[in-house]
Amino acid sequence: MSPRSRLSLLAASAAAAALALAGCAGSSPAPTGAASSTSLTWGWALPTSWDPVTSTAGWDTHALALVYDGLTQLDPDGEVVPGLAESWDYSDDGTAVTFHLREDAHFSDGTPVTADAVKQNLERGRDQENSTLAGQLRIVVGVDVDDEHTVTVHLDQADYQVPYLFAGKTGFIVNPAAFDDVASLATQPEGSGPFALTEYVPNARADLEKNEDYWNADHIFIDDFSIVPVTDPATVVAGVDSGQWDVAIVPPSQVSQAESAGLEVETIKALTVRALDVNGTVAPFDDQRVLQAISHATDRQALVDAAYFGQGTPNWQPFPEGYVAHSPELDDLYPHDIDAAKKLLADAGHPDGIELTLSLTEDDTALAEVLQAQWAKAGIDVTLNVLPSAAVAQNYVQRTLPFVLDSYSGRQSPLQGLEVLYGEEGLMNLGRQTPPELTAAIDEARATPTDAADYAEKIQNAVEVGVRLQPNTFLFSWPRILVHPAHVTGIRHWLDVQRWEDVKVEG
Amino acid sequence: MTIVTAEAPPAPAIGAEPRVRSAVPVLRTVLATLATAVAVFLLATFATFALGAASGSNPAAVALGEVATQADIDRLNHQFGLDRPFLVRYLDWIAGAVTGQLGTSWFTGIPVADSIAQAFPVSLSIAAGATIIALVGGFAGGVLAAVTRGGVVDRLITLLSTVAATVPAFVAAIGLILLFAYAIPLFPVAGYTPPDKSVGAWLLCLVLPSAALSLDAGADIARQLRTSLVGTLGENFIVGARVHGLGPARIVFRHALPIASGPALSTLGVHAPRLVGGAVITEVIFGMPGLGQLANRSALQGDVPVVQGVLLVTIAVIVAVGAVLNLVISRAGGTERSAA
Amino acid sequence: MNTVSRLWRSGWTVRLALLILLAVATLAVAGPAIAPQDPLAQDAASALQEPSWAHLLGTDYLGRDVLSRLFAGAPASLLSALAAAAIGLVLGALPGALSAFVPRVGEWLALRVVDALLALPFILFAIVFAALLGNGLPQATLAIGILVAPGFFRIARAATLRVRDSPYIDAATYLGASAWWVLSRHVWRQVAPNLVVAAVSALGGALLAVASLTFLGIGVQPPAPTWGGMLSSDLGYLGQRPWGPLAPALAIVVTVGALNVVADAARDVLGADAPARQKEAVRV
Repeated sequence: MSPRSRLSLLAASAAAAALALAGCAGSSPAPTGAASSTSLTWGWALPTSWDPVTSTAGWDTHALALVYDGLTQLDPDGEVVPGLAESWDYSDDGTAVTFHLREDAHFSDGTPVTADAVKQNLERGRDQENSTLAGQLRIVVGVDVDDEHTVTVHLDQADYQVPYLFAGKTGFIVNPAAFDDVASLATQPEGSGPFALTEYVPNARADLEKNEDYWNADHIFIDDFSIVPVTDPATVVAGVDSGQWDVAIVPPSQVSQAESAGLEVETIKALTVRALDVNGTVAPFDDQRVLQAISHATDRQALVDAAYFGQGTPNWQPFPEGYVAHSPELDDLYPHDIDAAKKLLADAGHPDGIELTLSLTEDDTALAEVLQAQWAKAGIDVTLNVLPSAAVAQNYVQRTLPFVLDSYSGRQSPLQGLEVLYGEEGLMNLGRQTPPELTAAIDEARATPTDAADYAEKIQNAVEVGVRLQPNTFLFSWPRILVHPAHVTGIRHWLDVQRWEDVKVEG
Repeated sequence: MTIVTAEAPPAPAIGAEPRVRSAVPVLRTVLATLATAVAVFLLATFATFALGAASGSNPAAVALGEVATQADIDRLNHQFGLDRPFLVRYLDWIAGAVTGQLGTSWFTGIPVADSIAQAFPVSLSIAAGATIIALVGGFAGGVLAAVTRGGVVDRLITLLSTVAATVPAFVAAIGLILLFAYAIPLFPVAGYTPPDKSVGAWLLCLVLPSAALSLDAGADIARQLRTSLVGTLGENFIVGARVHGLGPARIVFRHALPIASGPALSTLGVHAPRLVGGAVITEVIFGMPGLGQLANRSALQGDVPVVQGVLLVTIAVIVAVGAVLNLVISRAGGTERSAA
Repeated sequence: MNTVSRLWRSGWTVRLALLILLAVATLAVAGPAIAPQDPLAQDAASALQEPSWAHLLGTDYLGRDVLSRLFAGAPASLLSALAAAAIGLVLGALPGALSAFVPRVGEWLALRVVDALLALPFILFAIVFAALLGNGLPQATLAIGILVAPGFFRIARAATLRVRDSPYIDAATYLGASAWWVLSRHVWRQVAPNLVVAAVSALGGALLAVASLTFLGIGVQPPAPTWGGMLSSDLGYLGQRPWGPLAPALAIVVTVGALNVVADAARDVLGADAPARQKEAVRV
């Protein structure tokens, strides 16, 4: 046999062997529907930390809710319902709230969830040096353990929002047994939630298994849960189709792909809204008329159609329609009107137009380009400054960029959300200034029981004051879009955190 | 006529006297190579550290995110030792690196060494896969081209290697994704499964990234091997072997190839270490959580310790492999190359 | 020029490459001017369309004409690559030639600095450099230039060493010629052809590096198009427009390929004995 043909024979057999090996072993990484154990792989971002106290991103809450249970939870409409606490009652003046914990709640190691655990958690969240929750828990002046399943939280002022607050990271109860090595919590959570983390490879995947001791375990039908981040939106639909993911979040551009692949698309109304962060103490943004002009120059519906493929709803306020804090008075506050924009600019001393710099992250390039073209028609000349996401995140602290394209997500409590937007320590309040009327309106709403008749009115009033007086400009609310094959059922439309009760993967 | 490139060691002449094996020159070479490697390592890591220090990023803003005041910034800077003079920090960092302490991430608090330890096998797998594909493909192509010198196959292989050498890895990656995500869904187009979870899935997920990365090295190896093999096949001793009646396969594989492989293998030695840290874009496109993606993401987040750690590890690999190569080549009598 | 005509005569592949480079150079200088349509004109209703008579290469995600964007994006990528190669040449060649004349210690140190630069993982370091020091194309160009310099250093040094040890240099020095005269007359003649070849292939490597960095989003100033940036955004819409990445990819690959072909041919024509290309330093 000539050397050439021998070589090619060798090559051919090696190739055949490789393909055979590959074909036999490991097919789809996420086998579904086996009768003995059900598994589900979720295409979602991994958390910055598995410790709620050191997590630096709001969206971490979704992943953390898998391993932790909050004192309360939010239902699909954003209303507070029992979690670890079966019920709660306020003192007459609203400065103390007593939570009655359920008796059948256990951590993943079998130990019961007690009032003492709650006390330790709240104090750690407030006092730990690197806690990112410290600001939100400053209202807690003391925690009393009344008995094994009753705990009273004392507040520095009347605040009826606390049950909502505790549906999020501030209320996630970590197993105190892990407190002697808090640093390890970042990669090894210990909680009482529906699942327990079994393996974690940072930036690659997280594998979890069902926690049989979860008080609501009867409603969890998934045994093995995995989080695998979606790195490339272009291939996620193909990935879901081939079984790499069972459920994955997709950008609006992939919705038509998913539909033509025969996948189900869940367009979930969420508290997320695209917004412009503005530092109102920096010229020219210190003149409200300039901001109103920018708002008038924006054709929000065209923005949604061009950049988000129609998946979004124009909005002039932080919260979406249907949410308790959404004020109908603010709808169409500054309609698309180029002439009005030009006139406002002229009134503000810019008859020949104005030059601005908009900072953004790379992912938002398309959105910014459309805004740029729209605003140019009103004489607003924008230079786009694309930055790494770290620079935009650092801007919340360093506040060197006065005009940033951003996305805002409401928090578990609408007033907590307003604090973040408009409060004096609020992350997204670049000017760090709050007019006294706004503080008063927020405090008044805070001191109103949530079941009171005028609660909605008070909250909406606070939102109206904020939107009218503060420079933050809102563009449109956008949904959380999840795609999945038809055999994954039970995915509900949760306004706040995506939950997995009653989700089934059928044969 | 022998065609020798500037990198090729001269082929040992038949019948040359064996070199005298003395300890001292060997020791001198080893020490010199070591000194060179250490100097290069220190200089390169100094540049890396200076870059991090010049970036102006600080841990408080990166880590605290939600509520950081100036007091917090100062406190964390002190906690991370950022208020000390530059040289002190550099020496501290290098000293720590030697013992495996590379600091902690400003963003996640996870020790840098742990993150690197988790990302390294991924990059190593891709680099090894790419090396194997490049080796197999390059050798097969080189031999075929040399043996059919001047013919259609030779021209075709030369054309293919030129194309392969020109197409950058990320363009090849995109092409492969198009092919295998939409046309033939055979291999997964994203994600990494570690071998201890499933060897089959691990191999499958490595195929596309390794293929994309191997093109450049494979093309270089093929060309290098073709050139030196053609030259070697024209040597007198080959003619002699043919006259003796030895079959062509034996001549090529047992006599010519061992001699001609030298420059091709040293080409591989140049390419291979760079694959470990250099496959940034391929890792990003295929969603492989390796060193490249780790460094890319950390750089974009301003997470300086992680960036410095990854660069240090990559530099160490490159310098170490280069030093070893230098020693091997100088022992084999070749011209000494520099440490990289 | 004599060299160009000699190149022209050396084969049809070289001729093709030279023509391609001529077209590319025209784009680099006059790209935006000869673009058929406004590269920034958005038309959301006709987004992500296949090639048609109205849009020869189709439209992108905001309805902009791809062909025009390709033309308009040429200068950014090409001129940056040119600048990076030039920086590398200046930073590397002169020190490289001079290193043949300095005492041992300095020479050893200079060589180690060059080795250190070569030990830095190219794209990784460029990304980190650009990302940490301000996300702009100038920073990226500077980084690429610095990382490409070692190749020029080595070539200039090798050529100078060859010349330094030749007898007619000894004679000239004996006759009283200054180092500068030696450098400018004899060394230059030896070094120049090698530098030309290296510069052409360094240009190819730099273009690849610039494309890679703009692909990752570094140095991109929207809405101005860049070839790497177009490739990256096309990836996000592969489902709607699978052939989208072809245009910028071909632009990059064909230009780099033409540069490599010309570099190889120039090496033959000029009698330069430089080793194979600068590719070693540029790993994407």
